[in-house]
Amino acid sequence: MLVSAIVFLLLALPWTFAPDGQTHASWQQFLGRFHPLAVHLPIGLLLLVPVLEIGGRIRPSLREAAGFVLGCAAICSIGAVVLGILLAHGGGFAKEAVRGHMWAGLILTIAVITCTLLRSSWITGQSSFLYPVVLLAVLALTAWTGHQGGALTYGKTYLTEFAPTFIKQLGPHKTYPSVDPVSVYVTRIQPILDSNCITCHSGAKVKGGLQLDTYAHLMDGGSSDEDIVASHPEKSLLFTRITLPTDHPKLMPSEGKPPLTPKDIAWIRAWIQQGASPSSTTLVGMELKPAHTDDPIPQVGDYSGLTSQIEQIESTLGIKLDRVSARAADGLVLRTIGVSQKFSDADLAKLEPFAPYIVDAELGHTRVTDNSFAILAKMSHLRAIHLEETPIDGRNLKQLTSLSELRYLNLSSTKVTKQALNDITPLKTLQHIYTYNTPAAPVPVP
Amino acid sequence: MKQHPLCTDIEHGPTILDLPIDSGLKHEWAELQTRRHFLGRAGKVMGWAALASLGSGEALMGLARESQQRSAPLPSPETLRLPNFAPKAQRAIYLFMSGGPPQMDLFDYKPKLAALFDTDMPDSVRGAQRLTGMSSGQSRFPIAPSHWGFKQYGKQGAWISDLLPYTGKMADDIAIIRSTNTDAINHEPAIMLMNTGNMNTGKPCLGSWLSYGLGSMNNNLPTFMVMMTKKNEEENNQPTSSRLWSSGFLSSEHAGVSLRSAGDPVLYLNNPQGVDSAVRRKMLDAVSEINRQTYEELGDPETHSRIAQYEMAYRMQTSVPELTDLSKEPKTTWDLYGPEARVPGTFAYNCLMARRMAERGVRFTQIYKRGWDVHTHAVGLLPMLCGETDRGAYALVTDLKQRGLLDDTLVVWSGEFGRTVYSQGGITKEDYGRDHHPRCFTTWMAGGGTKPGITFGETDDFSYNVVKDSVPVRDFNATILHCLGIDHNKLTFKAQGLDQKLTGTTPAKVVDELLL
Ligand code: HEC
Repeated sequence: MLVSAIVFLLLALPWTFAPDGQTHASWQQFLGRFHPLAVHLPIGLLLLVPVLEIGGRIRPSLREAAGFVLGCAAICSIGAVVLGILLAHGGGFAKEAVRGHMWAGLILTIAVITCTLLRSSWITGQSSFLYPVVLLAVLALTAWTGHQGGALTYGKTYLTEFAPTFIKQLGPHKTYPSVDPVSVYVTRIQPILDSNCITCHSGAKVKGGLQLDTYAHLMDGGSSDEDIVASHPEKSLLFTRITLPTDHPKLMPSEGKPPLTPKDIAWIRAWIQQGASPSSTTLVGMELKPAHTDDPIPQVGDYSGLTSQIEQIESTLGIKLDRVSARAADGLVLRTIGVSQKFSDADLAKLEPFAPYIVDAELGHTRVTDNSFAILAKMSHLRAIHLEETPIDGRNLKQLTSLSELRYLNLSSTKVTKQALNDITPLKTLQHIYTYNTPAAPVPVP
Repeated sequence: MKQHPLCTDIEHGPTILDLPIDSGLKHEWAELQTRRHFLGRAGKVMGWAALASLGSGEALMGLARESQQRSAPLPSPETLRLPNFAPKAQRAIYLFMSGGPPQMDLFDYKPKLAALFDTDMPDSVRGAQRLTGMSSGQSRFPIAPSHWGFKQYGKQGAWISDLLPYTGKMADDIAIIRSTNTDAINHEPAIMLMNTGNMNTGKPCLGSWLSYGLGSMNNNLPTFMVMMTKKNEEENNQPTSSRLWSSGFLSSEHAGVSLRSAGDPVLYLNNPQGVDSAVRRKMLDAVSEINRQTYEELGDPETHSRIAQYEMAYRMQTSVPELTDLSKEPKTTWDLYGPEARVPGTFAYNCLMARRMAERGVRFTQIYKRGWDVHTHAVGLLPMLCGETDRGAYALVTDLKQRGLLDDTLVVWSGEFGRTVYSQGGITKEDYGRDHHPRCFTTWMAGGGTKPGITFGETDDFSYNVVKDSVPVRDFNATILHCLGIDHNKLTFKAQGLDQKLTGTTPAKVVDELLL
């Protein structure tokens, strides 16, 4: 009788305290926040039950304890589930986000109660298989519910984030089309997230289980799966959360950070509306300012593995290999000005291992000669080369014609001649050549 | 704090540094703690230093290393993850026209005013505008149209005063902003606001923020250098002080190093007679060692700055003479900058030096030119001030451009506020004066990813209120940071319980229209 009353009350809870995405009375949140702590007690007790049951085959006294422990587990489960529902309701979780975990928790609690009842008949020898089966089911359900709860707190990728790739491949994972560096996503959308959201939604901080640092993370969503619903901004939680009234506690970015500008919001809306694509380069109705579309920076490979070698070479040569920006793929700037008096071709040659990552070679005022072009040609991503006030005369300039991303070449105050310059006319990307104070000057800047 | 084994008065229990609290708080504590501890422990420190040189140095070094590994790292370009995005500008040069140049005499052309000479300012324009104590007592506010003519320059057809013929020549290289405005009406708060984003002293200035956020490009020269232009006896010279290049609550490594306008550019940089470089090096090594022990004892991060400063000074012994040696400048340089550039301390000389610093990887150079505070006798003073600065600024931009450095060098020209359209004191056909005016003033930027050849923002017919595209100081600074690859909301430092930033707490925005 009592038992069925409890079960009935439990089942009524999700309706009385239905999570609706709003925060509620602070006492609910206060108590609710003990849920993540409290759940560990019934979990521990439940895991102990099979141990005691099996141990009981050798030492019957253990088996007696099993009944007591199971009873405790049932009581604790009820407590934990009540706290959990208070948290879901009071803490303002979205219904979709917690629904699965909530029902799993309720069913688990009821299963534990059932288990406790079944055990008494099992002890007396009636229904010999029912109890073990239900107990096993309870254990499996515990694992599943616990995992779901963990994903809510720490984010879905918490467990697998640092797993070796072969493990990652085992799990269900969505694959996304690859991201185009000139797409609207890269040029307009990700920058908005970068400057407004990633302080709380990337790296060690994964608020709401949501990471916003890459396309895949964005599309994976957070504790809700519907952060981005392609073609439906109104159904996308992310869009809802950035368009709430400014005094709404759920507005993103949260904690009083300035809300997104109408312009940014318009971009996000249009992007989701038109398919949330990682590669499309236009959005109907949105004008891409021509200025901003100019040359997205070609990306270089990942050099993070070379960090210690980079530090080493910096200190041996006295140079700097500074990153262009926080994005590793923007490449490195080679700065030699601190040691320009002694920096020579031989030193430049030592930088060969880093050649593919250097996008800007600042060699002005150094002692490098025309022989350096062979090494420079290996820096395949070079966008700018500074050679002002060096002893070069340009006789090997044609070696640079393989640099397909080169836009800027500074030869001021060198001995470079007009004929030498003809050798680099095939370089179509080159936008600025500076030849101030050289035999080749004046050359109209192309 | 680790107790040295030789120290007798053992302290018991953990200190603040051992507590699991925010490293920023520990840092602040360490700084405060220092002063109190200093006197009490100074004697002992000296004792240790002596001991260190007597042979236990290795052991002390070991301790220092250990504690360095333990202490939480201070924020650095590494932890700040800067630049936030690939920058257009690697460095910036800031020409600061201290005193407040009159916008309507230089850039903000108001032809309709001519007909209103000596008539009263309409009250509707002035509104409830606050006045300075210097003109609030005036019974009337007679309009003073500019004494000079204006011409259109460049493809953009920018209106520029006849006072600035050289600036006119580079009209297509600069972005003129006529709608800059500030909240401060007096020099000190206004100049602080421009430089630090806050009217009160104690905050780091732009150059220090850049040094802190982006670090150095050349270890042999300071990241942030300041040059004062020589005083001109006839000008109304408002004082400037080292507060303007102070690093505020940032480590003093990030403060600006100012070059003197006469004599040795940096005092006491040369070795005294009989001390050669090797001796100096040995001395510095010993001093650093003592400093390292002091750090170990007191945990004061300023000790690190001091060590860094000594080392910088040592390297500057060779780098500064090279920097200031103009003997290899080609004739074209002197043709461009004019003969004045040969005289140290002139604005033209400073501009030439700024170009040389840019070439040598100085991140931020600021040149101050005082005297723009033309409360009286504007007609006499402005030709002099413009004559002194016009050519230098033009030469700098043009020189950077021809050498291919304007692509990644941002040049900024600005004062701390504008001046009133009405005359302060009386007005005659021949002369007038102008009071401070915060509601609008004209600035310009060039290079470093800014859009060349545009004029941005508009003021009303009296050059009194901004009517279009207002650029408050915080937006101006946010835009400068943007050129250097910095999101102004992300360059922060925790002090006094707040994530402090250059643009302050009022939301600021980057002025996209000024950017390429
Ligand atoms: C100051 C930290 C902070 C910033 C900045 C921030 N968020 Fe959040 N975000 C949170 C926290 C905390 C949660 C989890 C609690 C909640 O849902 O309110 C969250 C949750 C979310 C969720 C719900 C995730 C889910 O699946 O349940 C979305 C969507 C979201 N944020 C989007 C954004 C966007 C977009 C931005 C940038 C415009 C942003 N956030 C910036 C702290 C932040």
